Amino acid sequence: MISSITLRRVLPHVFRGSEKEAPVKDSQIWVNEEVSFKRPGYYIIEAESGTGKSSLCAYLYGSRRDYDGEILFDGESVRHFSISRWCDLRCRSLAYLPQEMRLFPELTVMENIRIKNRLTDYKSEKEISDMLTRLEIDNKADITAGRLSVGQQQRVAIIRALCQPFDFLLIDEPVSHLDARNNQAVAALIDEEARAREASVIATSVGNKITLPEFTLLKL
Amino acid sequence: MSKNIVWRLLRRNISAGQLAGYAIANLVGLAIVLTAIQFYRDVTTVWEDEDSFISKDYLIISKRVKGLGALPGTNDADTRFTNEEINEIASQPWARKVDGFTSAAFNVYARVEFGGNSLSTALFLESIPDDYFDVSPRGWDYEPGNNQPVPIIISKDYLSLYNFGFATSRGMPQISEEVIGMIPLQLSLSGNGRQQWVNARIVGFSSRLNTIAVPEEFMDWANSQFSETPTESPSRLIVQLDKPGDPEAEHYLEDHGYESAGDKVNNGKAAYFLSVVTTVVICVGVIISLLAFFILLLSIYLLLQKNREKLHDLMQLGYTPAQVARHYHLIVAGVNTAVLIAAVSVMLISAHKWNEPLQSLGLHPSSPLPTILIGIGIILVITAGNVWAISRNVRKRFFT
Repeated sequence: MISSITLRRVLPHVFRGSEKEAPVKDSQIWVNEEVSFKRPGYYIIEAESGTGKSSLCAYLYGSRRDYDGEILFDGESVRHFSISRWCDLRCRSLAYLPQEMRLFPELTVMENIRIKNRLTDYKSEKEISDMLTRLEIDNKADITAGRLSVGQQQRVAIIRALCQPFDFLLIDEPVSHLDARNNQAVAALIDEEARAREASVIATSVGNKITLPEFTLLKL
Repeated sequence: MSKNIVWRLLRRNISAGQLAGYAIANLVGLAIVLTAIQFYRDVTTVWEDEDSFISKDYLIISKRVKGLGALPGTNDADTRFTNEEINEIASQPWARKVDGFTSAAFNVYARVEFGGNSLSTALFLESIPDDYFDVSPRGWDYEPGNNQPVPIIISKDYLSLYNFGFATSRGMPQISEEVIGMIPLQLSLSGNGRQQWVNARIVGFSSRLNTIAVPEEFMDWANSQFSETPTESPSRLIVQLDKPGDPEAEHYLEDHGYESAGDKVNNGKAAYFLSVVTTVVICVGVIISLLAFFILLLSIYLLLQKNREKLHDLMQLGYTPAQVARHYHLIVAGVNTAVLIAAVSVMLISAHKWNEPLQSLGLHPSSPLPTILIGIGIILVITAGNVWAISRNVRKRFFT
């Protein structure tokens, strides 16, 4: 269980030496003394491309460590978390939707979701079907992911990210390929799932923001 | 069913050709190793079987008799081994055990009576520790003071000399080993002002020792009774070699001017040659196995490399490196088990083929179990190496 994520003077290695220049200079996150994400709560991190938003997600999700400063989960630095601890966090506390979705193209939509769900058996087959129906992709359940449009893939990846318990949901540009109506549907589903878990959502956006109610906006 | 999803993902890119190549290479290597080991064991179990064509090698060493050194009345000290010389031989790396022949320091006459005729002859007796005998006949135990006959072992060559040399030319009957054992002998022991008759019996024939041997217990007793001088140092030594046919031993004897009344010297050389050949063959097998091991590693590394995105994505979903690597471990374990079974089969079939000719040579095949255990051990080591390398490789991909 994670209640808060705190960033202290975090700076990606690639920005070393350019602390006084844009985009780092104007950032509300990089090299800030302390930035905290608490639960429950919604945060949208607005960024231009090339400012390191995917890097930030990778740091929070434990797949990269090329940053200076400290990231703390409930006050504990994550830099030296073991692989098994990260794996456990990824099953129970942290959910993540990467920008590139990372679906397995040779598996069907349903299999792509099951491969995540089987780790914790968090959702029943029925609940998964309901979510597919809600996002209007239930008719694609048995089609391989490689044959879906990017917008459809995005929705499948969102459902997959929801198939686990979490305290924080990291979503990297979750609606970049969705129209306004689908954006609404996705936002409503995410809002509902986050509330059920009393969890936080940290979403990034380069333009098309997910329409979450009452969020804190941070500029990267 | 859901379990198979991960497997279905990861088994893509598995190259059946590469795995088969590895399996065949490792099978050849392991089969060579196991077959060589089993052959060596089958041929040398008889190491313990005395009288076999390859046996523990013994050397009987004496000093060269020079000039008149051994004529009566002259000093024979030149042909005796001093304690220092014995110790030096014992300390040689090729010598496992050394002992001297104890010879009788009294007069011995033997008398045989059959059908009223009696035959008597002067005789000599020697003794060595029991371990050196190639035969362990019944009734070899002797206790001084007990009236039982003194057991005697003579060289097989003496019997052959009589049967095929003396008896045939003189028209006398040939005698079997069993019959000789039944002939009662009488020995007259004299010296030190005493004389005594004792009964004796030939209980066995040795192809290793060219002597007339009696138990050490009897010799000690008789020497203490009939010898006028204290026991002298031995003039003949028997040496058990560490390795059969060790050329080092031969060089040593040459350098020191010793002679060997070699027991199966050539057989010893054959055994030495066999062990060298086996070692070479096993080395070749091991090298092939090692190469196969690296082929498999490379093949798996290639597979992991091809699947690197999937591995990464699975771990992003929360799969542990162990859960991901497990599938590759299973592949390796499966292939290696198949290789082991095939290699053991090859070994067993080969052993079956050579058993018949070996049995006709009087050799008894050894149990294949130790060889199979060695095979299991080798495969376990190879599998452990593979598993470790795979786990390491997968874990390395966790942090990008």
